[in-house]
Amino acid sequence: MFVAQSQETRSSEHASMVFLEVAGIHKRFGGVYALRGVSFVIERGEIYHLLGENGCGKSTLIKIISGAQPPDEGQIVIEGRAYTALTPIAALTAGIETVYQDLSLIPNLTVAENVALTEQLVKAQGSLARPLRQAELNATAARALAAVKLPTSAEFLATPVGNLPLAVRQLVAISRAIATKAKLVIMDEPTTSLTRREVDNLIRVVTDLRRDKVAVLFVTHKLEECYSIGGQAIVFRDGQCVAQGAIENYTKIQLGHLMTGRDIDASRYRHASASNETLLQLQDLGCRDYFQQVSFTLKRGEILGITGLMDSGRNELAKTIAGVMTASSGTLSLRGQTLKLRRPADAIRNGIGYVPEDRLGEGLFLDKPILSNMVAAILDDLRTVFGTLDRNKSRAVAQELVDELRIATPNLELPVQSLSGGNQQRVLIARWLTIKPQLLVLHGPTVGVDVGSKDTIYKTIQALAERGLGVILISDDLPELLQNADRILVMRDGLVQQEFSADVAQEEDLYRAMLGTAKGSPT
Amino acid sequence: MQSTSSTQAPASLGSLGSRLRDKLERRPEFFTLFLLIALSAFVGTVNPSFFQISTLFDIARSSTVIGLFALGVFVILAAGGIDVSFTAIAALSMYAVTKLVVVFQPDTPILLVFMLSTVGGGLLGLVNGVLVQSLKAPSLIVTIGTQYLFRGLLLTFVGTVWLIDLPAQMDGFGKMALLKLQTDRGNTIILPAFVLILLAMALLTWWILNRTLLGKAVFAVGGSPVIAERLGYNLRAVHFFIFSYTGALAGLAGMIHVCSNRLANPFDLVGIEIDVIAAVVLGGARITGGTGTVMGTLLGVFLVVMINSVLIMAGVPSTWQRVVVGSFILVAGAFFVVRSKR
Repeated sequence: MFVAQSQETRSSEHASMVFLEVAGIHKRFGGVYALRGVSFVIERGEIYHLLGENGCGKSTLIKIISGAQPPDEGQIVIEGRAYTALTPIAALTAGIETVYQDLSLIPNLTVAENVALTEQLVKAQGSLARPLRQAELNATAARALAAVKLPTSAEFLATPVGNLPLAVRQLVAISRAIATKAKLVIMDEPTTSLTRREVDNLIRVVTDLRRDKVAVLFVTHKLEECYSIGGQAIVFRDGQCVAQGAIENYTKIQLGHLMTGRDIDASRYRHASASNETLLQLQDLGCRDYFQQVSFTLKRGEILGITGLMDSGRNELAKTIAGVMTASSGTLSLRGQTLKLRRPADAIRNGIGYVPEDRLGEGLFLDKPILSNMVAAILDDLRTVFGTLDRNKSRAVAQELVDELRIATPNLELPVQSLSGGNQQRVLIARWLTIKPQLLVLHGPTVGVDVGSKDTIYKTIQALAERGLGVILISDDLPELLQNADRILVMRDGLVQQEFSADVAQEEDLYRAMLGTAKGSPT
Repeated sequence: MQSTSSTQAPASLGSLGSRLRDKLERRPEFFTLFLLIALSAFVGTVNPSFFQISTLFDIARSSTVIGLFALGVFVILAAGGIDVSFTAIAALSMYAVTKLVVVFQPDTPILLVFMLSTVGGGLLGLVNGVLVQSLKAPSLIVTIGTQYLFRGLLLTFVGTVWLIDLPAQMDGFGKMALLKLQTDRGNTIILPAFVLILLAMALLTWWILNRTLLGKAVFAVGGSPVIAERLGYNLRAVHFFIFSYTGALAGLAGMIHVCSNRLANPFDLVGIEIDVIAAVVLGGARITGGTGTVMGTLLGVFLVVMINSVLIMAGVPSTWQRVVVGSFILVAGAFFVVRSKR
């Protein structure tokens, strides 16, 4: 009797810790399984990292929890109440706030509206025929913004969100979760476009949320961040949950193995060495206020890494080498020949390829076929005598590259958006290979790409260097640079601060050079 | 001394300029107001008789119908859609209701006449909303289709002849004066009472857009329909509302048009869609949706009406009016594009 009672108390105690439980969730799209019987539990005040390769079902699961899509089978239990499917309003009402990769902010609405309208909408149960309570809107917004240390002035509240920098928008999205008193905040790759300093700030905010008993579910590819945040790892593979447990109990290699089902080498990819032939030489290159007096040489077959904070000038340096921006001082010479690059076409003509950071915005035509995307830079060479596009020739060019880069697609006519992030990135690299480049500038080549695809992209980069290309790799991902480059330049305040040899440098040294702190903790 | 003042002057001018640009970025309707004032100054300088009360009355009278249309178009633009069928809706509901009244019940109270036309317009607008929502088709395509459809229905089934003998209460409403003044030359000038309807509808539209959740939902959908739906805004409700509301305003405007002209002509109102859309865009609403204000819309309407009606007072031939409207749209368009790129 007594024992039974105590057990009951314990189980109800346990039940009160559980915020959400998904049980036996199945989801099919057409004949393809996205989720095959996924079950797990989310407790209050705990942090979870949902890990897995692109296409493993993570995004589908999030859509189901946030009410954007119904599951085919299974149920979602929130605070003891079972649902077979949620709607966006039902999920919000239950306290689930989802910050998608695009942050789900409406650019033309003000900060106050973006932060606090959802709360009023939830109170109205989604009915729109309600008066807007402006004073309450501002008060709620101010309270939520203060919690993430954003300004609460009337001017900031009335600023359209579209005018804010990305890192601030991220915090605005999180303060919306605070405003709706969310009990579970889901963040889909929140740190992808943030610099290290902004990531540190985000982690602080998440720690605050946790203290207030809010559960946080991260979806991310950045394992280093998961370790530094701590919490539970939930690993997905092929639509199934293959592991769950405290993240510190897993090594990176173990997690990589769980996600991909194969072993991922975490050591250096770079084994070859550069030739002696100078390919690119920069002499005191500068571009207005962005960067000054950048000088370096790049040999054929060499991989040069460049890093620095967002405002260090590294982005502008990449764009200047690619002809997107025009240098205002100094010289740039390729194979001993001084070039004046005024537009991307000048760079392309000279064999300089540029794979931009924002491959969705700047590089790929997402709804167009893979084939068209690949040959977009060499349309002139594929002309028939009538000036039309030679379909057979372009197909041959594209097929060769698909085989070479091992792009996983059954059909070249499929739109690029049907591919996973890693394969999309390879399509973009393939496009630049069609111009038979001498020099390839890769800007954040694995942003938003999963572990398995990273591996193949790195192998591709190494293979290109071995073919004699010069590669400039610009990245925030320090392990990526250390694994792939020969040398790493660290930029700060528009200047190259320090050069490292990648086979001996430590992550810590690079980070310190980026921030300009001689020693001490990264703050 | 002189050198310092000469270096300071452009600097302070520059900061004034940038402050002005900041202001304009937030309130583009000030640019519309500026064009309006510049145009008045120009016409008034060339022909001083512009500055009299009768000009104001004329502009107010001519602005009512186009202004009601513009309020509707603005609401749809704010939600990221577009409507080119509102003139067909106005023509169909005004002519059908007038014919109904003339043939069956000539003593229908004026309030009921207006309600019939407004509700009829609202229902036709709802057809647009249902089609946009269910076909998931761009609203431009849908409303081009329904424009032909509504106009075809009107001319095929309702009638093609002018209705000239309107019932007394409709005639009376058109003539009803809010203000009646005697000019020096002994003419009587009238500010018609129906301008109050424009005022009331402008206030109502402002209230809905700025003081209700529905209004915020309209702007949210105009900013990004995908995100708005994800955040729990009811996309269907927004689509149904914007198109019915615009249809209702069009029905109302159509009946005012009949009463003020004392004539129901089924061929009227066609072709002014572009004028109306131009007025809304000149008022600072972006054609891509999500922005704009009621005040800006009204200013845009006054601007277009003024160009169409008073430019002739400055000796500008009427054929030039289109050139002026076109240039203003290009200037405003260029201005607003620069604004959005900053």
